Amino acid sequence: MVAVGTIVWLASELMFFAGLFAMYFTIRAVEPQLWAEQTEKLNVPFAAANTLILVISSVWCQIGVHRAEHGQGSRTGKLLEVGKWGMREWYVLTYIFGAIFVSGQVFEYAKLVTEHVTLSSDVYGSVFYMTTGFHAIHVTGGLIAFLLIIGRTFTSRHFNRFHETGAIVTSYYWHFVDVVWIALFATIYLLK
Amino acid sequence: MKTAAKLFYFIAAFFLPVGLLYGFWSEWKEPMGVTTLLLCSGMALMIAFYVSRTEKQLPANRPDDDPSGMIEDAEGDYGFFSPGSWWPLWLALAASVCFAGLAIGWWVFALGAVMGVWALFGWVFEYFKGEHAL
Repeated sequence: MVAVGTIVWLASELMFFAGLFAMYFTIRAVEPQLWAEQTEKLNVPFAAANTLILVISSVWCQIGVHRAEHGQGSRTGKLLEVGKWGMREWYVLTYIFGAIFVSGQVFEYAKLVTEHVTLSSDVYGSVFYMTTGFHAIHVTGGLIAFLLIIGRTFTSRHFNRFHETGAIVTSYYWHFVDVVWIALFATIYLLK
Repeated sequence: MKTAAKLFYFIAAFFLPVGLLYGFWSEWKEPMGVTTLLLCSGMALMIAFYVSRTEKQLPANRPDDDPSGMIEDAEGDYGFFSPGSWWPLWLALAASVCFAGLAIGWWVFALGAVMGVWALFGWVFEYFKGEHAL
């Protein structure tokens, strides 16, 4: 039930991003000159590496879900025995990768600001920061969700299906945000 | 759930040609409609796909797909649902304080953020603390 509700909510989130995509395409269609000029400033290899980090974090997240579905909340071996990791350890790893992604975005923003692309510089700046910024807020929200889910695993002696449900729906959200980023990356960085 | 899945597959199948037709008629010069109509199809497809996937994992012949099924046939464990909680109210209030902060000043926003953290933790851990933790 919770999982179906999460998917319905994520479907509505898709329409939220639809608005952002529509805005991006529309403004690009009327300002081709500005786009040609400003997209030159984007660091595509850096963003591609950052994208790869986010995609890999989804893989770690899915392994964590797999562990959760087998009722393994935390590791059964030593910290470095990756094979015996539970959901908690895999989610911490996902969190670290997600945090690197957001940090990479902050780094990219800082660099673009020095090149005079800001939220209020021109319409390209507005659209760029609105689309990537709303996505980054979603990723940050996902990171907070991971912390809460990890925190919950400490509350009871046994990892049970209530913990499992929370872990699974958080993974749905994470994969969704990941897929949206791939679409955003293709739109902003590849379709120049 | 089969009926629900079919319903959403139908919506998805409706918006796909409509989006393409819109693009064709506007000579692909108006990206707003094309993007949103095609993603409307995606939205319905997401729900349809998930519902039909969930349906396959449940026991066959669900009462909700049986025209002569009874309400009580669908009884059973549906998961845990909170009987009532005040935490969403506090979280909404915190969000309002944050929004007011955008207009009044950042110090108000900071107050709202602190309140938000408290409300969020209260909500998430409401049934996950103490002796009777789930």
